[in-house]
Amino acid sequence: MSPRIEKLLAAAVVLVIAIGVGSTYERYRGSALSRVPEAYSPSVARAAVGANAAESSEVDAPADAVPPTRRESVAPASGDALAGNAQELLIYPTLAVGMRTPFDLWRYYGRGVTSFGSPAMPMRFEQWMDFHAKQKPALMADVREYMDGRFDFTGEAIPGAHMSGGKPIMKGPISRLPAGVDSFEELAALSPSEIRERDLFPFKPLAHPLQTTAHMLFPEAWVEAHPEHARIDVDMDIPQAYLPEFPPPMFLTTHKELGDVTGGREVTLDNFFEIFDGLLSPEQMEGLKELLRPSPTTWFNHTDHRVTAEPSRGVACFDCHVNGHTNGAIELGPDSRPNLARLRVDTPTMRGNYNLMQLSSKRSIRSMDHFSEVEEYFDGDPGMQQAIGPRAVKREVTNRMGDMNSILDFPPAPKLDPLMRLIPERATPAELRGEALFHGKAKCSVCHSGPAFVDDYLHDLRVERFYVGRPEGPIKTFPLRGIKDSPPYLHDGRLPTLHDSVEFFNLVLGLQLSPDEKNDLVDYLLCL
Amino acid sequence: MADPVHAEGKTPCPSPTLLRMALGVTYFYFGFLKFFPDLSVAEVLAGHVLTSLSSHSMDARSLLLALAVLECAIGLGFLFNVCLPIVTVLFFLHLCGTFLPLFLLPELTFKFLPFAPTLDGQYIMKNVVFAAAGWTVLSPELRRRYTSE
Ligand code: HEC
Ligand code: HEC
Repeated sequence: MSPRIEKLLAAAVVLVIAIGVGSTYERYRGSALSRVPEAYSPSVARAAVGANAAESSEVDAPADAVPPTRRESVAPASGDALAGNAQELLIYPTLAVGMRTPFDLWRYYGRGVTSFGSPAMPMRFEQWMDFHAKQKPALMADVREYMDGRFDFTGEAIPGAHMSGGKPIMKGPISRLPAGVDSFEELAALSPSEIRERDLFPFKPLAHPLQTTAHMLFPEAWVEAHPEHARIDVDMDIPQAYLPEFPPPMFLTTHKELGDVTGGREVTLDNFFEIFDGLLSPEQMEGLKELLRPSPTTWFNHTDHRVTAEPSRGVACFDCHVNGHTNGAIELGPDSRPNLARLRVDTPTMRGNYNLMQLSSKRSIRSMDHFSEVEEYFDGDPGMQQAIGPRAVKREVTNRMGDMNSILDFPPAPKLDPLMRLIPERATPAELRGEALFHGKAKCSVCHSGPAFVDDYLHDLRVERFYVGRPEGPIKTFPLRGIKDSPPYLHDGRLPTLHDSVEFFNLVLGLQLSPDEKNDLVDYLLCL
Repeated sequence: MADPVHAEGKTPCPSPTLLRMALGVTYFYFGFLKFFPDLSVAEVLAGHVLTSLSSHSMDARSLLLALAVLECAIGLGFLFNVCLPIVTVLFFLHLCGTFLPLFLLPELTFKFLPFAPTLDGQYIMKNVVFAAAGWTVLSPELRRRYTSE
């Protein structure tokens, strides 16, 4: 073959491959098995990051030129420039289950290969154990480094402030400010788009530290008491000092005179009868028993599809909602796919659920009976039940779980009057100033009002105005009654202290509060 | 043993050229696929190994893009018969890398250790053929270059 023909042949081959692969990709995007949405273009994806690209507003077409059916899909709308537009995001990496995920998963988007989970594992169980034995130490070292990079876990408590059971309440803000910004006030003086462009936002979402497998992750104190829930692949990333107390007290609407009915114990299947016999109705007793009874769930069951070294009996409602409160265990919201798109959610308290009309961050569940029916297969994937062990709870039983749920009371708030206002004689001047801010300049009461300090709506705070990330969409307002007992805050626990929460809302709502005002507001929140 | 490739005095057999082109096509083709997210089936293994090598300090997509550039460069070198000394170095470095999943990710490359690979494992092991083919193509070229000076 002459060198010329050879070169021509080579050039032809290169051309065919380049054009062939390129056009194949055009057809592949958005097709059934592709994880890449149709609108994605590999060339613009990176270029647009950080760029203040203006919305391409097309000239309105004359009415008669509008086709009778819609052909173009509607672009995601957002107030500020391209906030949350897919063009700025990366496509999810291709990963097998168990593999590490980026800690900044909020920068990614894309479709899943399928909505449906499968009990089949990519490897044998011994290999699964080996894989995690190798991966876990490095993963946890990186998780700690990442968390320390985001938060300054000083372990410093607010003097004199305690949760209802006596655990010290941590002081903040401990979210680290970005380099070059000296104070939260300096940050709050910048516009959302400036914060976004310069990548200065200190309150970005938290992902599950191992989101391919994800699922329940129990805090250190819980795992110490319940070693059967220790995971082979990953541990909790938030230090125990910044989580709720364990075991927490339990208050009943039907027995206020008793205070904490548990006597400082964790209520279990073994001791509940002794503690509650003669105090609860038979229906409530049955409900409580069901809330304490473990049942198999994803990754915690008797099969090889698990993250515990030994086969697991599963998990009970009170394994996360311990004593009807929370131990700070995390999970993924079951409401979206792919799994990498699901939001991390920390366990909310069950206290005062009787006064909530909206349950769960995004699913808008309206009754506790309903919740008891759906919760347990937290993945929103009933198809897995056959494989890992069906729970099959009948409606009468979930109703009784609801009966028990609805007598779990908020902790005492001795400084509040029946209208949920501070009793002036009992409150400090700072707390009273905080209350005035809450209902005034700080606008908190716009969404946090009524007996539970909640409006029972979902709100889209559009936090993605402040960073390049996938929009998280509307989330329910969480009640603030008893809020001092359930750190960390926000659905994913990205705000470890009340001080961080106040800084967050100061920024997101554009309140321009002074340092003194923020402290007053925290003092007030501690009274609720 | 008769050596059909380097037989003195005879017209060299066309196989080294075809072999070189075939290597080039494979490298360029499979490398080019990696420019497009979710198109290459090697993404899981390559992404995992590369992010592990970078101690998870870089995202998988950037690393895959770098790999795509590397593989395409090697492919073009072979196809157009240019820059062979550089290609040689890159090619053998890359080949060593392709064997890493056997050690770093035996859970996905072996059904059962030590001698029952998965399809991915077999796909990697057959790279010994690449190594041999590369040597067949490159060594006479390099010898010619460096002995004529
Ligand atoms: C991971 C441990 C875990 C277990 C076990 C668990 N939950 Fe939850 N629970 C959560 C998390 C996390 C949420 C938040 C879910 C969301 O936002 O979508 C939640 C939310 C709830 C809510 C709504 C609270 C609110 O304020 O919106 C109720 C009610 C509830 N769970 C009841 C139950 C019941 C009943 C069970 C047993 C069938 C149960 N949970 C088991 C973690 C758990
Ligand atoms: C526009 C409505 C709105 C206003 C105004 C508002 N909040 Fe919220 N609040 C929410 C929503 C929605 C959430 C849940 C957001 C999430 O989890 O992503 C929330 C969550 C919280 C939480 C965390 C609760 C938990 O259990 O994790 C705290 C603390 C809080 N708000 C305090 C405040 C304070 C203090 C103010 C006033 C400075 C305020 N909020 C103003 C809507 C609002």
